[in-house]
Amino acid sequence: MPVTLVPKVQIKTMGSLRLNDVLSEQAGLVVVPQVNAQGNGIQVQGFNPDYTLILIDGEPIIGRYTGSLELSRIAVGNIKQIEIVKGPSSSLYGSDALAGVINIITEKPTGNQGSLSTRYSSNNTLDIAGDANLTKKKTGINLFANRYSTDGYDLSPENFGKTVSPFTNYTLHSKITYNVTPTTDLSVSGRYFTEDQQFRFEVESNGDRIRTAGEGTTNDWSFNPVLTHRFTQKLKTVARFYTTRYKTITHLELESDGSPYYQDDFKQSFTRPEVHAEYFFNAENILTLGTGYIRETVQTSRYGDQEKREQETTYGFFQHEWLPVEKLVLIVGGRFDYNSLYGAQFSPKLSTQYEVSKKLTFKISGGVGFKSPDFRQLYFNFSNSAGGGYSVLGTEVALPRLAELEAAGQIQEYLFDPAKLGDLKAERSLALNVGIHAEILPSLKMELNAFHNSIDNLIETQAVAITTSGQSIYSYRNILRAYTQGIESDFSYPLLKNVSLSLGYQLLFAKDKDVAEAVKDGDVYWRDPNTLVTRRLKPNEYFGLYNRSRHLGNLKIFYNNKIKGLEASLRVIYRGKYGIGDIRGSIQGETIPQSDRNSNAILDVYDDFVKDYAVVNISAAKTVKQMVRFQVGVDNLFDHTEPVVIPNLPGRLFYASVACSLSKNKPGNQ
Amino acid sequence: MNMIKSVFSFSLITICALAFVSCNDNPATRQVVATTFTNLAADPPTGFTDMGAPIGTTGKFTFFSFKTGALVDHADSATTQWDIGFRATTIIVNSATSGPGTSQVQVVSGIFDDILEAPADGYTSDNDPSPIEGVPNANLAIPTGSDQGWYNATQGPPPTIITPIAGKVLVIKTSDNRFAKVEVLSYYQDAPASPTGNEPSRYYTFRYVYQPNDTRSFN
Repeated sequence: MPVTLVPKVQIKTMGSLRLNDVLSEQAGLVVVPQVNAQGNGIQVQGFNPDYTLILIDGEPIIGRYTGSLELSRIAVGNIKQIEIVKGPSSSLYGSDALAGVINIITEKPTGNQGSLSTRYSSNNTLDIAGDANLTKKKTGINLFANRYSTDGYDLSPENFGKTVSPFTNYTLHSKITYNVTPTTDLSVSGRYFTEDQQFRFEVESNGDRIRTAGEGTTNDWSFNPVLTHRFTQKLKTVARFYTTRYKTITHLELESDGSPYYQDDFKQSFTRPEVHAEYFFNAENILTLGTGYIRETVQTSRYGDQEKREQETTYGFFQHEWLPVEKLVLIVGGRFDYNSLYGAQFSPKLSTQYEVSKKLTFKISGGVGFKSPDFRQLYFNFSNSAGGGYSVLGTEVALPRLAELEAAGQIQEYLFDPAKLGDLKAERSLALNVGIHAEILPSLKMELNAFHNSIDNLIETQAVAITTSGQSIYSYRNILRAYTQGIESDFSYPLLKNVSLSLGYQLLFAKDKDVAEAVKDGDVYWRDPNTLVTRRLKPNEYFGLYNRSRHLGNLKIFYNNKIKGLEASLRVIYRGKYGIGDIRGSIQGETIPQSDRNSNAILDVYDDFVKDYAVVNISAAKTVKQMVRFQVGVDNLFDHTEPVVIPNLPGRLFYASVACSLSKNKPGNQ
Repeated sequence: MNMIKSVFSFSLITICALAFVSCNDNPATRQVVATTFTNLAADPPTGFTDMGAPIGTTGKFTFFSFKTGALVDHADSATTQWDIGFRATTIIVNSATSGPGTSQVQVVSGIFDDILEAPADGYTSDNDPSPIEGVPNANLAIPTGSDQGWYNATQGPPPTIITPIAGKVLVIKTSDNRFAKVEVLSYYQDAPASPTGNEPSRYYTFRYVYQPNDTRSFN
């Protein structure tokens, strides 16, 4: 399976503070804005953010109340490395990560050391972080604390409010390790996060612009004890428990008279005990077996009542690593999940790796993944007046709610037969990755991976009706069959003694299978919006799904001179043109334009695209006496912005930081 | 938004690309011509309430006759003078539940100019029993709803943009067994190239060909 590791040293040289900063610079990943523009999700191999699992030390972060996870919730100051696994090729983390897994590995307590750092940057953004490591005999403690505050930014100063409203957040993370016996280790981690955001919005209500102000608060915490015991040299067992809570509350009031305008709250809990065992039969055979149980609850105003919805999953998994002959590794795995709402699912995985020589390795992996419909797709009963006025009804509540509206005479027109909404099925994907790892010239390393993901039963919103006041009502359906396929490549080369160069590229084709077939059959047309002449669309004229770029690339140069304590970097991140249109919305009162403008509701080459662009980031750092590190940098050097379509890309940001390591044994900057 | 005024100020544009051919007086060999009818007012509202609900709508259909190429007075709704009727996004044909005639229609996929002959069969009237209880218009020959009949409605917050689907051609068999084909081009006043959904809506611009003779040919 294709795995990318981002080590701490690189995160530091890049000057990254939050998870979205790190991920936006990785080959093949795109940090995409969320519906309300106040967030960032991650697109992997062309999948929407909902399909990538984000883990801290193997445990999932919750709080996907719009489907994707807000990446800026995660501070990266205490991270040892980030593992990016693409494709559903691992049985160990869960089956719902159709696109991949991003696992954040935090620091383990080492030595007695600490560090303090502070960074100030444009938009009055201040980051203060401290961490401490204390180890004594059998006990180790790692503590990390971070405070981040910003005034946000405003890409459309002519409009009221800001693109991103000011916020302040705090992160606390601790990990305590204890050697119970020489063969037994205990680790207990905890996390606490709290954020407060001050909103000022202008919303459009039937031609009138109404000013609102309010506050959004987000809290999460988690507790994670892990007990590891080696019964024999051959048998290692791990018992882990994880429980986490997430809560977010948003309220807006009218600025004119302070009367309530919008209120939204969302509470989620996730609890998971799991045990697994690894048995080393011999050097050629390693078996992992595990079982666990998940209980998940959600309580939100968006479900029309404050009733708690819950689901339970019982699961078991196995993975067998076998080396039948020298240089050949075969991993067979599988996972069985039983969900209280959706019944049983089995997802097998297979991967193999063959090392032809020290300079050439082949890798092939395949797997099946499935993603159950989430709570929102079942239970949403939510009317958004702040977003311009629309309602979303989950499939479990859609029929009775529509009947109520119908009885009240509020339905103007049905756009879709509600009786056909039916029960949602789990989304399924089949993934195949074929890769080469090669040293093609001395020191010139190449990683090449071709991927194909075939996805069925994709859940999409379905417009169901229009109310008499002109508001749309949506529900969900298993509509789409899609595929994403392409090639990812990464080249790295040590340009000079202390200079490394890397080049990443992804070619992506992400298409709706039904549309592709209809185009092939000659059943799709486009109408020139100016001449009103209709023509038949040719297969090569269908561009694909919205929000996917055909080309992504990055060029990075890192300089690291340990003797002189100097670091520098230049990173260029390129995103090719893409279309927008599957979800409409407005940013600061401006409607997001749709790419499709030739009357076929699909993205073809004659439509409007968001132009390709590149973001250039630079940084330089100097460490003095292995204790104090000064860093300056500029993100988005050429100040590329697109206020309406890329609201999550701030303009040019200058920053300067100072970090101080307090350690006698070991320098803080590795 | 004084939209009601436009009901009386519709314009008719005839494309006489084949004008020299139509000089031939023999009706049997006379070629039919494509005509574009603009801004057919299909019950547009005169305004909106504070809640965004349309006001000033009459709930009445606007009727059209292919033979005359003109609107038919609403007083004649119970006659066979009209072939099709328009109200908001709903298009009816003069038959069964919609009128006293026998007009039938089918939605054909293809390029308007390339449809040289009306299909022999496959036409339906507005009289199938509604498959959905309580859903208005579910029994119409031209299905209502986004991506069901002739249009797409955008997903997302209002304003919803109604776009006529490219390549959907309505082929109509009139009450006196003549054939016509229709391509809806716009739902907004003066057919803006990039409608935002805020333009005065319920103004149809459509292209049609009517075959006055007893043949299915559109040549």
